[in-house]
Amino acid sequence: MNAEFFAFSILSVFAIGGAVFFLNSVRVMHMAISLAFTFFSLAGIYFLLQAEFLAVVQVLIYAGGISILMIFGIMLTKPEEGSPGRSFQYHQWISLATIISFFVIIMVIIYQSPIFTPAEKVSSPSVQQIGSILFKQYAIPFELASILLLVALIGAIVLARKEQK
Amino acid sequence: MTGLAWAVPLLPLLAFVVQLLLRTKGTKKLVSFIGVGLTFLSFVFAVYLIAQSFIWNHNIPTWQINWLHIGSKVVTVGASFAPLQVLMLFIVSFVSCLVQIYSIGYMKADERSNTFFAYLSLFTFSMLGLVIAPNFLELYFFWELVGVCSFLLVGFYFYKESAKQAAKKAFIVTRIGDVGLFIAICLLFWKVGSFDFSIIQEAVKTNQISAGMITLIAILIFAGAAGKSGQFPLHTWLPDAMEGPTPVSALIHAATMVAAGVFLVAETFWLFEASSTALTVVSYIGAFTALFAALIALTQTDIKRVLAYSTVSQLGYMMLGLGSLGLTAGLFHLFTHAFFKALLFLVVGAVIVAFSNEQDIRKMGGLGKEQKWLGITFLIGGLSISGIPPFSGFFSKDEIFAAVYQSGKYDLFAAALLTAFCTAFYIFRLYFLVFTGRGAVGQTKTFSWYYQVPIWVLAVFPVISGFVQFPKPILGQWLKSSESGTLWWIALLAAFVALLGIFLAYAVYQKQWISASSLMKYSGFGYRLSYRKFYVDECYQALFVWSLKGLGWVLMGWDRFIIGGIARFIKSLPYELGTIGSYVQNGQVQRYLLISVFGFLLLLLTITAGRLIF
Amino acid sequence: MYLTSYLALAAILFCIGLYGVLSKRNAVMLLFSVELMLNAVNLNLVAFSRLGLFPNIDGQIFTFFTITVAAAEAAVGLAILISLYRKKETAEADQYNSLKG
Repeated sequence: MNAEFFAFSILSVFAIGGAVFFLNSVRVMHMAISLAFTFFSLAGIYFLLQAEFLAVVQVLIYAGGISILMIFGIMLTKPEEGSPGRSFQYHQWISLATIISFFVIIMVIIYQSPIFTPAEKVSSPSVQQIGSILFKQYAIPFELASILLLVALIGAIVLARKEQK
Repeated sequence: MTGLAWAVPLLPLLAFVVQLLLRTKGTKKLVSFIGVGLTFLSFVFAVYLIAQSFIWNHNIPTWQINWLHIGSKVVTVGASFAPLQVLMLFIVSFVSCLVQIYSIGYMKADERSNTFFAYLSLFTFSMLGLVIAPNFLELYFFWELVGVCSFLLVGFYFYKESAKQAAKKAFIVTRIGDVGLFIAICLLFWKVGSFDFSIIQEAVKTNQISAGMITLIAILIFAGAAGKSGQFPLHTWLPDAMEGPTPVSALIHAATMVAAGVFLVAETFWLFEASSTALTVVSYIGAFTALFAALIALTQTDIKRVLAYSTVSQLGYMMLGLGSLGLTAGLFHLFTHAFFKALLFLVVGAVIVAFSNEQDIRKMGGLGKEQKWLGITFLIGGLSISGIPPFSGFFSKDEIFAAVYQSGKYDLFAAALLTAFCTAFYIFRLYFLVFTGRGAVGQTKTFSWYYQVPIWVLAVFPVISGFVQFPKPILGQWLKSSESGTLWWIALLAAFVALLGIFLAYAVYQKQWISASSLMKYSGFGYRLSYRKFYVDECYQALFVWSLKGLGWVLMGWDRFIIGGIARFIKSLPYELGTIGSYVQNGQVQRYLLISVFGFLLLLLTITAGRLIF
Repeated sequence: MYLTSYLALAAILFCIGLYGVLSKRNAVMLLFSVELMLNAVNLNLVAFSRLGLFPNIDGQIFTFFTITVAAAEAAVGLAILISLYRKKETAEADQYNSLKG
C-alpha cells in the first residue's frame, strides 16, 4: 500500500464518480462541474504516470476549454423535455445490455493478459524532450494539426453563423 | 312438305329466341301466345307427319349433312323420322302445347312468367331435337340441353332454398347417369368409328363388337337412361324436382323428359337385344323401381310427391316392359302414360290452386262437390293409371304384363302385379282424400278456360288412346315390332288386382271400415320405411356426401395448413425481415451507433473467443 | 502500480462514455460523452507509454495530437449542433431522424 496506489485509488474514484454524475445529473451546472471534475482527476492520473506536460495540457484544454464550451452548448439549446418514447426506452435498455457485455469482455481480456513489468525504467520525459520530438520527428503531423485547428475554427464559424436569407 | 320435317324443332327455338328478346319488354300475353302459337305449329306439323307415316305409310326421308371431318371419319348432323321418332314428336309437341296453354293461367300472377315461357320453349326445342336425333352425338347434345332446361325450371323459384337444392340435385344426380352414357358413346366411337345409329346397328348385326363390349355399352347407356328416367338408384332427384311449377312437373317430369330414358333404350333397342345380360339388368331394375316407388307413394302426404313416385314407378314399368323384350309394350305405356300422367299433374295443379297452394293431402277434402270437372278428370286419369278397362292404362299395362309373363321371369311378373295393386291403392287414396269426404273450406274458385281446355283435351286421350293397340295392334305394326298379342287371363288378373286396390282405398279412405291410423300402426316399421322413402336419401347422404365432405375437409386442411402454411411462411419471412430492417432504419444516429457497437461486440467475441473460454 | 489498473480505469470511463453516447437524448450530452471516451483512450496511451512492455515517449505525443483533434471535434460538433438546433428547434437526438431513407 504505497502512496501511488492511494493516490490512484482516490483519483480513479473521483474520475468515475464525476463521469457517473455527469450522466445522471439533471441540472446543467452540475453536469459541467462533474465533467470538469473527471477531467481534473485524469490530469492527476497523468501526473501519476509522470506525464506532467500532458497533465497541464489536459487541465488547460479539457477542464478549461471544453467544459466552458459545454456550458455554452447547453445554454444555447433548450434542455431535454418530456419522457422518451417507448422505442427509445427499449433502445436504452438494449444499449445498457450491450455495453455491459462489452465491458465484461474488455475486463476479462485485460485481467487475463499476462502481467509484465517494463524492461527498463525510463525517466519521465521532460518538456524539452517532448518539444524536440514534436518539432523534429513529428513536425509534419504537428503542422497538419495546426491546419486542422484552423479549418475547425473557420468551419465552426461558418456552421454556427446565422444563415443570411 | 315432308322434306322440311327437320324444321319441326326449330319453331320452338324461334319462339325461344323471340321470347328471350321480349323478356323484359313484351307483355305476358304476347310472350305466352308466341310460345303457344309456334308450339302449336310444330304440333300441326307433327300431326301431318304422323298422318304421312301412320295412315298413308309414307317413308319420311331422313335429312343429314356432314358436319365435321376428323381424318377419314365424318360426323354428321341430321334428323330421322322413323315411326318411333314421329310418335315422340307427336307426344312432345302435343303435351307441350297443352301445358303451355295451361301455364298461361297458372303463371298469370308470376312476374317472371316471360322467362318461364322462354324456358318452356327452349325445353320443347331440346326435347324435339332429342327425339329426332339420328346419331349419338346429337342425341347427347340435346340430352344435356333438356337436362339444363330441367335444372332451370326446377329452380325457377330459385329464391326458395328447397327449390335451389332440388335443382342442384336434379342436375347432379342425372349427371351421374350421363357420365355412363358419355362413356358408352366414346366406347362406340372407338369401336365402330361413327356416331350414327344406323351404322352402329349394322356393326352390331355383323358382330363387329365383342359380346362383352356390347353388354358393357348397353349397361352404360342404361345408366344414362336410368339417370334421366329416375330409375333406382338414381331416382332420388325426381320427387325433389316437384319443387318446380306444376306445369313443369307435368311436362318435363311426367310426360316427356323423364320418358327420354325409356326412349333412349327403345332407340338403341337393337343393342340391348344383342345382350341378354343387359336386358336382364334393365328388366330387374325396372321392376324393382316400379315396386319400390309404388311402395313409397303409398304413404307420402305431399300430393305432388305421390304423383312423382307414381311417375318413377310407371317409368319402371316401361323399363320392365323393354327389358322383357316388349318394345311395343314399353313404348305403348310411354305413350299412354304421357297423357294420363300429364292430365293428373294438370289436375293436381288446379287442385293446389283451389286449395290456395296447399300440397298436403291430409288438409284437403271434398273438392269433388265444388269442382266436379276436376273430380271427373282426375277419376279418368286415376282409372287409367290403375289399369281399369277401357282406359288406356289397362291396355298398355296389360301388354307389359304379357311381355313379362312371356319372358318367363315369374318373379318380375309377381312384382309387376303387386305394383299394379299399389298403384291403384295410392292413386285412389289421393282421389278419396282430395275429392270426397268433408271439404276443408268452400272452394268456389272458378277456373278460366286456360285451365279447362288442356285438362279436358288431355282427359279425352286416356279414354281413346288405348284403342290404337286394341282390338288390332296398329301401333305395334307401325313400329314394326313383332310381338304376340296379350293373354286374356292376364288382362283379367290385372284388372282384378287394380279393382282390389281401388276397393281397399275405398274401404280405408271413403267408408273407413279400416281406419288409416290402425293400418299405419299395424304396418309399423314398414310404414316408417315407406314414409321415409326407404332411407335412400339418408344412405346417399352418409355414403357419398359425408365421406366426400370428410375427404374435402382433410384436403382443405392440407391445403390451408400445410401448403398455405408454407406459402404464408415464405411470404412472411421477407416481410418480417423487412420489418426488423425498418425498425433498425429509424433515422436516429444512436440506433445506428448501437448496431455498430453490437457488431463490434460480435467481432470482439469472435476474435477473443479462444481466450475467453480457456 | 501495474498497467492493468490504468487499463481498467480507462475501460470503465470508456464504457460510461459509450453509454452516454448511446442513451442520452440531449445532443450536447452526446458530444461530451464522446469527449469522455476520448479521454479514456488518452489514458490508455499515456499508461502504455509509461508502463508498457516498451516504454516510449511516442505515446505522450500521440495523446497530444488526440487532444488537439478532440478540441477541434468539440468545436465543430457544437457548431453543427447549433445549426441543427436552429433548423429543428430541438436539441434531442432522437428527433434527428432525417437519416431515414
